[in-house]
Amino acid sequence: MKKSALRQSFDTGIIFGIVHIFCVLIAFNAMLGGLLVKIAGIKSSMTAPLVSALVTYAVVLGLWAGIMSARQRREASNGQRLLASLITGASSGLLAALLAAIFLVMLTFKIDPRNYLTNLSTAFMKACLYSLPSFAGIAGNFFTFVASSFLGGLLVVGWNLIGSARQKIVAVPRGWINGLQSGSAQKQLILKYVFYVLLFVVVAVLPLKWGSYWNYVMGTVGLYVILGLGLNIIVGLSGQLVLGYIAFFAIGAYTVALLNAPQPHNLMVGFWPSLVLGVLLAGLAGFLLGLPLMRLRGDYLAIVTLGFGEIIRILLNSDVLTAFSGGPRGVQGIQGPTLFGRPFDDVEYMYLIILAVILAMYVYNRLQHSRTGRAWLAVREDETVAQATGVNTNNYKLLALVLGAGFAGLAGGISAAMNQFIGPADQSLMASINVLCEIIVGGMGNIPGTLLGAFAFKGLPELLREVENYRMLAFGALLVAMMIIRPEGLIPSQRPTLELPDEAAVNPTAATGEAPDSTTGEKSHD
Amino acid sequence: MNAEIPSDLKKKSYQVLKLVRPLLGGIVGLFLVYRLYVVLIVQHPYGPDTWTRLLIAGLILGGVYALIAIGYTLVYGILFMINFAHGDVMMLGAFGGYFVFEALNALKVGADVKANFLNVYPYFSVIIAFIVGMTIAAVTGYFLEKIAYRPLRKAPRLVPLISAIGASIFLENAAELLFSPQLRNYTNPDILRRGAGWTIVINHSNVIIPYTGVFSFVLTAVLLVVLYTIVRKTRLGRAMRAVALDKKTSALMGVDVDRTISQTFILSGALAGAAGVMFGIHNGLVYYYTGFIPGIKAFTAAVLGGIGNIPGAMLGGLVLGIVESMGPAALGIDFQLKDVLAFVILILVLIFKPSGLLGESLAEEKV
Repeated sequence: MKKSALRQSFDTGIIFGIVHIFCVLIAFNAMLGGLLVKIAGIKSSMTAPLVSALVTYAVVLGLWAGIMSARQRREASNGQRLLASLITGASSGLLAALLAAIFLVMLTFKIDPRNYLTNLSTAFMKACLYSLPSFAGIAGNFFTFVASSFLGGLLVVGWNLIGSARQKIVAVPRGWINGLQSGSAQKQLILKYVFYVLLFVVVAVLPLKWGSYWNYVMGTVGLYVILGLGLNIIVGLSGQLVLGYIAFFAIGAYTVALLNAPQPHNLMVGFWPSLVLGVLLAGLAGFLLGLPLMRLRGDYLAIVTLGFGEIIRILLNSDVLTAFSGGPRGVQGIQGPTLFGRPFDDVEYMYLIILAVILAMYVYNRLQHSRTGRAWLAVREDETVAQATGVNTNNYKLLALVLGAGFAGLAGGISAAMNQFIGPADQSLMASINVLCEIIVGGMGNIPGTLLGAFAFKGLPELLREVENYRMLAFGALLVAMMIIRPEGLIPSQRPTLELPDEAAVNPTAATGEAPDSTTGEKSHD
Repeated sequence: MNAEIPSDLKKKSYQVLKLVRPLLGGIVGLFLVYRLYVVLIVQHPYGPDTWTRLLIAGLILGGVYALIAIGYTLVYGILFMINFAHGDVMMLGAFGGYFVFEALNALKVGADVKANFLNVYPYFSVIIAFIVGMTIAAVTGYFLEKIAYRPLRKAPRLVPLISAIGASIFLENAAELLFSPQLRNYTNPDILRRGAGWTIVINHSNVIIPYTGVFSFVLTAVLLVVLYTIVRKTRLGRAMRAVALDKKTSALMGVDVDRTISQTFILSGALAGAAGVMFGIHNGLVYYYTGFIPGIKAFTAAVLGGIGNIPGAMLGGLVLGIVESMGPAALGIDFQLKDVLAFVILILVLIFKPSGLLGESLAEEKV
């Protein structure tokens, strides 16, 4: 028992050490540390800002490792927990020191690995050795990890020692939330209206005050909310995984673009009729694609729609359709809607998007709580049972596809007018996967989740420019982690607990019980 | 395989749906016949030399597709999930081979300044490159399963697929950040120079059969035979087939299910790694996005042949390679659209014969 506990702490340290090496090789540590230093607002006392960033990062990683390691030992005494964090710190520090030693060798022999590992410039490797001469740098790396991990262990022990006080602190905000949630129905209704009025005022005033950059960013977020809601109808409500969703966006966008741009055709139909046409065409595409595919389920549908999305993108990008749709250069100079004879400015576009988002949310909400919405849920949960209970599954799945495609067409049309440009590069598979990530991370099948996801995926990267390079990497890791830890998303759908009050007590345990259940499942065969 | 529709539910919509397939089939069939007639008989644009060239290119490409497709099929046969990150496993294998070639190219041998290990011992170098590439890919496959898929064994079907998409994004971007987004040229040993090959004369025109292509094709064939022997004759293969049939029962019969699944991922990863090194040697380019399109194509090939079916994956890969290479010429469409052709084939196969060319009916029952 004792030995296996030691081994566990050691292994945790090794895992953190490997994560550290990976972070260093992709220079993630410099970015993260720099960000932390910036957030904390510490005026760096060291001469080189890079070194202080790297030290900050190493301390944070070490702290995390120490906390993890100390918390793993559930029944252990405080001394054992500290020992565990020390061992973890030592084993991760060993790997860090190994990497530092390799850097030292490469610096001494003037080997430049940048041709293959692109981030390892001489300056960066020196900074990784904390700008210290030779072996002091290696030791510095080692002891940073040991010390910060031990500190993490101390934190956990201290946290446990002040356990009773902690519960009181946590109880205060909980009491507020409960106070808001409980109370008479009338009070709740008033609160709800107050909330809506506040929201309305904020939404109405902000676009005027923000300036064009923020209007552009939040406009993009709004378009992604519409896209997310549309995909939520298909994936979240009716349970069909569609991967080439952005193709419908492209159909809406290109409809508006081709009918309102001077370049390929010079039709100039006007924004509003072409927007309606774009929505209808996107819906029609969804119908035509869905019709033969209704027999397929799950991952097959995913791959076919992925293929469809790629076909649309390749066609738009190829020379074959250049005369029709502008080819790789896209369509430029798209005429948007006009107000009293002059084109929309950014504030008006923002209002247009807000209106579209409200419309989409309204439609989505009504659909979700209608007979149709319940039929979709039935199809999602078990198609065979749904069919047996008299739900015409094919029709409902097709309807979901058509409606979701229509939402995408709406977003596409507005986007084409707002950017005055549309090109095949915007229609990549990654865009589809972005929308999918957005609704999965936010919480499948509900509006607050979609809003949160859209902000997290389109708003945050604008705020955190430094993260740009690592964004997709983080998305990938986040998707895997979400699926393992919290597959229902950050804001899970509330519907089952609302409709089945008897199961309300059962459901949360089932949801939280999933993670430990799956880890124990490793050992037992299913 | 036809969808079993309860008789009391035969409403109008089903009848409409039933009409869609023959209608669509008729349109597609007529279009194919028309285009083939126009191109092959009316226009007659290419001589036999061009067709031979296209056929050779298609066979080589098809071999690589077959190797990757088997990885999909092995995993699908056991876990019923699409290992979306398989193409990226192949990309990492390709990088492994690339780094070996670069390192051996820089390694000087003997007194001669120009002599390097890569060209002094070319056979040995190629073997090392394949071993390293296959090992890296196999290790990636092993950890991929352990981290991203194993905790989700009992989850609903879409959950592992999304996890696989996440893993794919992660691997691609990790490679981009590690090795930079630049395209890298594979340094082949001189005996495997790209563009060099045996020359045959057809229709008074030289047709080159590239060494790299022949090498890839032969190696593919060898690996396929080895794999087939493993699956059919060894204990591991028997365990894999048992787990694919029924996990619970095979666990009761003393098969270590988790270990078998891990070994399957190692096997499929090794094949993907070999395919990656081959792809690098033959096509000459490797970068972080190398694996994506071949991965999707190979999945198409696996579906085409009948997913879960190993000979099917081989056949599907070859057919897809040939169609992709000769199809645009035969149908008289732009060569830029060869990817469209592959995806159209995927969609058509799934619509008309979801079980694939050689497959059993999997598409609906095991979903």
